[in-house]
Amino acid sequence: MRNISSVLGRLVKSASISLMLLFAVTTTTQAQDAANGAALFKSNACQSCHSVGKKGVGPDLQGLADRREEEWIIKWIHNPQAMIDSGDEQAVALKAEYATMMAPYAHLSDDDIRDIIAYVQSEEQKLAEKAAAGGGAAGGGAASSDANMLMIVGLVALFVVGVVVIIALNRVTTTLEKVIVTNRAAISEAQAEYDQGGESGLVKFAKAFLKNKKLVFFVVLMVVGLLGVAGWKTMWNVGVHEGYKPVQPIKFSHQIHAGVNQIECQYCHGGAFKSKNASIPSANVCMNCHNTVTASEHYDGEVSPEIAKLYRAVDWDVDSRTYGTNTRPIEWVRIHNLPDFAYFNHSQHVVVAGVECETCHGPIQDMEEVYQYSPLTMKWCVDCHQETSVDTDNAYYEQLIAAHEKLKKGEKMTAAMIGGLECGKCHY
Amino acid sequence: MESNKKYWKGLEELNQTPAFVEGSTGEFAEPVPVENVLNEAGLSTKTPRRDFLKALGFGLGAVSLAACSRTPIHKAVPYVIKPEEVTPGIPNYYASSFNGQSVIVRTREGRPISLEANPNAIGLNQGTDSTASAAVLDLYDMSKLQNPQIGGKDVEWTRLDQEVIAALNKAQSAGKQISIVSNTINSPATLAAIATLSEKFPATQHIQVDPVSYSGIIEANRSAFGKAVVPSYRFQHAQVVVSVAADFLGTWLAGEEHTQDYIKNRDYKSLKGGKMSRHIQFESGLSMTGSNADVRIAIKPSEEGAVLVSLYNAITGSSLPGGTTNTKAKTAIVLAAKELVNARGAALVVSGANDTNIQLLTNAINTALGAYGAIIDLDNFSKQYQGSDGAFQQFLTAAKAGQVGVAFFLNSNPAYDYFNAEDVKAAIEKVDYTLSFADRADETASELNAIAPNCTFLESWGDASVTEGLFTVVQPTINPVFNTRQVEESLLVWAGVRKSAHDFVKEYWEANILPGTGKAWKDVLQEGFIYKGTATGSSYSANVDVSSVVTAINNDSKRIAGDVELRLYESPNIRDGRWANNAYLQELPDPVSKVTWDNYAAVNPADAEELGLKETGKVTVEANGYKVDLPVLLQPGQARGTVSVAIGYGRTKVGKAGDNVGVNAYPFASLVNGTVQFAAKATISKASGIYELAQTQTHHTIEGRNIVRETSFAKYLQDPNSESGRFADTHQTYDLWNKYEQPGHRWVMAIDLNACTGCGSCIVACSVENNVPVVGRDEVRRRREMHWLRIDRYYTLNSGDEKLTEENEIARAKGLDYEDVTVVHQPMLCQHCEHAPCETVCPVLATVHSSEGLNHMAYNRCFGTRYCANNCPYKVRRFNWFNYWNDSRFDNYLNNEFTQLVLNPDVTTRSRGVMEKCSMCIQRIQAGKLQAKVEKRKVKDGDIKMACQAACSANAIIFGDANDPESEVSKALRNERVYYVLEEINVQPNIGYMTKVRNTFEA
Repeated sequence: MRNISSVLGRLVKSASISLMLLFAVTTTTQAQDAANGAALFKSNACQSCHSVGKKGVGPDLQGLADRREEEWIIKWIHNPQAMIDSGDEQAVALKAEYATMMAPYAHLSDDDIRDIIAYVQSEEQKLAEKAAAGGGAAGGGAASSDANMLMIVGLVALFVVGVVVIIALNRVTTTLEKVIVTNRAAISEAQAEYDQGGESGLVKFAKAFLKNKKLVFFVVLMVVGLLGVAGWKTMWNVGVHEGYKPVQPIKFSHQIHAGVNQIECQYCHGGAFKSKNASIPSANVCMNCHNTVTASEHYDGEVSPEIAKLYRAVDWDVDSRTYGTNTRPIEWVRIHNLPDFAYFNHSQHVVVAGVECETCHGPIQDMEEVYQYSPLTMKWCVDCHQETSVDTDNAYYEQLIAAHEKLKKGEKMTAAMIGGLECGKCHY
Repeated sequence: MESNKKYWKGLEELNQTPAFVEGSTGEFAEPVPVENVLNEAGLSTKTPRRDFLKALGFGLGAVSLAACSRTPIHKAVPYVIKPEEVTPGIPNYYASSFNGQSVIVRTREGRPISLEANPNAIGLNQGTDSTASAAVLDLYDMSKLQNPQIGGKDVEWTRLDQEVIAALNKAQSAGKQISIVSNTINSPATLAAIATLSEKFPATQHIQVDPVSYSGIIEANRSAFGKAVVPSYRFQHAQVVVSVAADFLGTWLAGEEHTQDYIKNRDYKSLKGGKMSRHIQFESGLSMTGSNADVRIAIKPSEEGAVLVSLYNAITGSSLPGGTTNTKAKTAIVLAAKELVNARGAALVVSGANDTNIQLLTNAINTALGAYGAIIDLDNFSKQYQGSDGAFQQFLTAAKAGQVGVAFFLNSNPAYDYFNAEDVKAAIEKVDYTLSFADRADETASELNAIAPNCTFLESWGDASVTEGLFTVVQPTINPVFNTRQVEESLLVWAGVRKSAHDFVKEYWEANILPGTGKAWKDVLQEGFIYKGTATGSSYSANVDVSSVVTAINNDSKRIAGDVELRLYESPNIRDGRWANNAYLQELPDPVSKVTWDNYAAVNPADAEELGLKETGKVTVEANGYKVDLPVLLQPGQARGTVSVAIGYGRTKVGKAGDNVGVNAYPFASLVNGTVQFAAKATISKASGIYELAQTQTHHTIEGRNIVRETSFAKYLQDPNSESGRFADTHQTYDLWNKYEQPGHRWVMAIDLNACTGCGSCIVACSVENNVPVVGRDEVRRRREMHWLRIDRYYTLNSGDEKLTEENEIARAKGLDYEDVTVVHQPMLCQHCEHAPCETVCPVLATVHSSEGLNHMAYNRCFGTRYCANNCPYKVRRFNWFNYWNDSRFDNYLNNEFTQLVLNPDVTTRSRGVMEKCSMCIQRIQAGKLQAKVEKRKVKDGDIKMACQAACSANAIIFGDANDPESEVSKALRNERVYYVLEEINVQPNIGYMTKVRNTFEA
């Protein structure tokens, strides 16, 4: 039912887009290039503070060209502070209204700014068309309620069809029963004939097979062997949760954050560089970006439902842009569960050994949903400790004279050689 | 080298009783009944096959069912808004103070998990006493109140405030007294809060009374110097110390600070310089201080005054009447007086009696010795105990006369700890409105109208001034866990001042303490304290009318003198009863008797024999009209004709762990000359019944092997190697194992037997750090205590020691003088042997050696054969018989999620069926190494401290890297006194001990 409404929604959207395209054709007669403006708007990250039709960190850009002179806008964008200092009334009023001061964009040429204004105007038009197509949107709403109706009608129809089928089938059985009663003698004859012929097939083969003792032995051996191997493998993997991908309360995508947006691991998981815990970022870290990044462009101007969950957690009101007090922590499902008796320290590996996050956590930048990439078995740890070279530039290791001498001889020094395999290093 | 002394841990060992001999052969008290199962009868019983199949079927079924359960889903819940200073997994440290000591609180993710001394502080800065180590557990005590109460029912604070303010107004208008009864309060901010209340209600009176009172000293100093204070004692300046019944290393005044100072004249550094103080102790019961004395003379409580009179006579050459007639004491006094006079200016006499006259005489002696100034500091005096027995008397009289309108009780529980509880209850009944600030409905609070529960010091803003001029700050490390409010805030609210405790304390400091120091409030929060006192006190001379004082002493001695005399003493663990609900402290063995979870009547073994008493017997003690049955303890060193009983036990309303543990001994006390006296004439008789004390003294016995080395100071001066008896000095050793290189670290420890006083603070610190569970009285009786570190206390008999070398002779010897024993305390923990016998017998390699010289223990690998424990020559391995932290049978403290927050998250909680032992705080070693690696440097000496080491005020435990020749431990282990326990079996322990040196008179 949601699907149907969203399909209808999309239809409406595409219709409006085509309408818009028509308008766009008409507006390209303007000297300015709205497409270039759109590119500039994005590349200068204007959208992090401004949008058309909504107040953000900065003012709503709707009606920009109507309320301000073009010259004023260009001057303001080039150097807002200078405008305020010069005592421009409008500029001072802006400063008073908004807490955050806009940065200067001196590198934009006057034409660039005109392009941006053109882009804003084109967005305004889109908005106006949307408002004009209010009937369409309402239609969408109606469609969705229609969809509800459709569902109910469909169910009723299904029920009716079901009843009809049952009645029909009942009729068929009664007819067949009548046939059996009338032709009983003929049926039993045919049955006897079939039985004789049946034995010659499958049963004969089974008997012949059972007579061949060697074959039986071989087959039994194979079965036992296969079961053994399967059992052995299963037993080894008890408690190994490689590939574990639980459903998380928020569909957070590392692919978008670490992959597309190239955010450093450290930005969110700073603990990995300082502590034994890599630490899941607290929600306030998310809000550093998400107080402006709402992904509304993908959701018809609404806040993405997943980001909305974040807002609920920190009790952020999108419209008033304020935090409330009714916070609710996000209960993530833990993916990497090391047993209590094993001690693991991230900073030891990340800072001291310089191990890349991906070494253990896999291609995190490609993961829509994170899963356990490594088996986290002791064997896996030990294998790596056997191979990993120690950073001999670290002054801490100066004392390892014996190791130094080995190095001089051209041998390598592994974590295992300096006690990396000892029980107490992980279990205490 | 064989020692010429016989060391024994208990009379049962000395006498080789059959029960002891049988018990000492096995590592565990109850052997596994292997024979019963495997003998023929076991196999030929009627239905072994069916039983076997049943068990097999059930087992298979249970295992398959268990295997079917899905791995539980673990949630990971990050902060919504992470506090900037918190990094999960990394501890934060806050400067605060506990009982006036500047400490550092370690917190993890916002919960305090341990306390350590502030190393930069003034006064006690090397370690903490056992109560400080254990105090963090009190925060997580489930027996505390969670809401304010009126008449035993939970109410809102607003309701309570209304009621209290109404009561205060009523009392004020009726012209009645408003009394705040508290123990000593030295917090300037709390006193200011009380002053604020008395501004609003001028009828307010503040009465301070301590259960264990030092009124005697205060009154004596008022009369002798015109200064009604308890002075500070600086033991580091005293080369000769004579103590008459003062347990100054334990419970007397600032015991832990005294320990730190006292040991400075006796530890390996002092000995290296050829100096050692001499300590002579006169006392009736064997106290921890007495056990550390060079010479100890057992006297009766009634002789305390006489000993001081004789000492005064000997020092000043006067001949006042009433000197002691005890021949041993006489000889000792002559020698002691000579020593004291020779060391004039570096000599000190202290007396434990709470009697003004005895303290006046002590003042006169100390004046004669020139102790006032450097050693006894009356300028930077102690503010720990300011309680006045007289003031409390006046309160009781006024209350009974109906003159008191409102009474508040703050840290005060007189219905339990006042000798005449009935009197207190009668007085409370006559007061119109009564309220307690207790954190639980204790004996007093439950009798009152209302309870306004105070926060613990870990949840409060506050301060303390334990010595004149020293101010320490208390800052919270966690929000109040329950709906409690700190007392300062309550008082302010009732005085009509709306101010948070933080603002109040901060403003008070900024107005009164910080000016002139050049420091801001933030500096104090970081450093933890401010010192404005002088370096040393100035000289004073006591103005005492000695002859009248001596007459009074002689008269008072007659009151106590009798065939049997009772001496009450403060338990070094649970003190005056305040810590009764702290399971760590209840299970900490008494430093001398090694009894846990009980108090008892300590009598001399010879007296016990006369009374027909044996161990596990019970005795009726009667004194001052109070009569009670107590389990008897045969205490070597106890003076003949005396019985000692600890106060602080027998609480009834303190909580799960402490309720009905032991017997209340406060009613034995009495009020004489205006001060509460803890000695009395008594009678004892055998009582019916058997009671087994949970005493750890002969658990894990070393079976008579020669592991203690002791010498005298005179011998040491001639030859520093004296008596160290190192096996390797005289024997060739052979190795079965290949030598291997240890190029990185080699963690070792040095333990100075001369510095260890046996206080047991290290045991508690170890338990807190390593999540060592408390097992309870019954399990201790079964020898199942879990302490990774124990302190073995050995007795030796002094008389005729030449004859007593052979065990048999000791067993046969009759009429031994059990009064005259000396004591050695030996901390015993995993020795981390290079050739560890435990490692070779482990069938699953759960315990293996590391390249850094540590004996590792992988709990997840252990499956509990206990072979290792049986093969350990030091008997330091402990087996988990139960999941103590999650088993309702051992519900001492830890069986709830709240109290489990006290656990150290860096250390695994061990499960049932697993062996454990000292890990040398491997979590601290690993953390220290990691810190160095992250900073790309070497580990510095002192970076890594063991929990036990950090708690030791005496610096008896030194830990470090033997591969660093400049580390403190390397230097300590190069000392001539160093020997290794059981060196002859060549297990190559990594812990070296230093011989005990006793500065006896023999020279």
